[in-house]
Amino acid sequence: MGIVFTKLFSSLFGNKEARILVLGLDNAGKTTILYRLQMGEVVSTIPTIGFNVETVQYNNIKFQVWDLGGQTSIRPYWRCYFPNTQAIIYVVDSSDTDRLVIAKEEFHAILEEEELKGAVVLLFANKQDLPGALDDAAVTEALELHKIKNRQWSIFKTSAIKGEGLFEGLDWLSNTLKSGGG
Amino acid sequence: MFSLFYGLWKYLFSKMELHVLILGIDKAGKTTLLEKMKSVYSNIEGLPPDRIVPTVGLNIGRIEVASRKLVFWDLGGQFGLRSIWEKYYEEAHAVVFVVDAASPSRFEDAKSALEKVLRHEDLQGAPLLILANKQDLPEAVSAEEISRYLDLKKLDERVYMFEAVSAFDGMGIRESVEWLVEVMERSKRTETLRARASAMGPGP
Repeated sequence: MGIVFTKLFSSLFGNKEARILVLGLDNAGKTTILYRLQMGEVVSTIPTIGFNVETVQYNNIKFQVWDLGGQTSIRPYWRCYFPNTQAIIYVVDSSDTDRLVIAKEEFHAILEEEELKGAVVLLFANKQDLPGALDDAAVTEALELHKIKNRQWSIFKTSAIKGEGLFEGLDWLSNTLKSGGG
Repeated sequence: MFSLFYGLWKYLFSKMELHVLILGIDKAGKTTLLEKMKSVYSNIEGLPPDRIVPTVGLNIGRIEVASRKLVFWDLGGQFGLRSIWEKYYEEAHAVVFVVDAASPSRFEDAKSALEKVLRHEDLQGAPLLILANKQDLPEAVSAEEISRYLDLKKLDERVYMFEAVSAFDGMGIRESVEWLVEVMERSKRTETLRARASAMGPGP
């Protein structure tokens, strides 16, 4: 069994492509992050209904990044995109403290998904530029990240608007995927 | 008869995953240690030290030593992140505490962090391995010196060892891991955790 996975991994990373899903509640900043990573600039976005997908080349890995709409009514469709995913980027609006509980519940529901068992988890505590934004330690606490014990995770303070923290996160992601993942 | 039970115990022990927590303050070299262990014990090439970034979260390393499955949990050591350490205590079979032996200015911080770890009741009876890391650096002090500096009280009922290592060049890594496997095999805590796991039914 282990050998199968090893082979799978080497075939996936031999050509260095990784399929990444960007998930999170609506208005967390997923689309802004996607285009900040892809074009290096801030685009004005409208709420995503459906998805945006772009390829981001970084650290010799081609990330195929899927940004899925986050509104309540369309969250059930996330699971259509789960198969063959190597990593999840979960984006949290750190200033939206009222909805952190919902963000936590959605997050832990994702982790339960069988098809995402092997995916590593990167969290962006986004909107650090806004007053009252919680820091990484506080978001860690609020999302109960300590409950994750069988896969690797990491959290970064980001500001998609200012472009801060995003590539640090991708550094971690590419390192983790290269060294064998979850 | 005894050997039958002993054989059964051995068998159950080999089936079980042993969780080892890697703790220590930031810049002690915990993730470098983890990556080195991965390189030494599995065919996965660990990350080279210059690629390692400060951990804000959890890194996991799974290795197999003498047919025992070890799972290492490496947690971030920055001050604000240490509050999540204790969430992992209950399920840990043993603790590795890493100290940067080449940075005396931070010994005080390491000492108080370790004392806090040892006071926690969820870690009762967990074997403790304290590593005087970064022995590849000329200014690194010995394991004895670290032990004198940390001056730990109330260690008598706990199985512990100090070891000089270099996560950079691999010095002392095998000795450390072998010691861990040996003490976990004999520890009462392992027995307790196993009993609890089987009472709760088959794990995931």
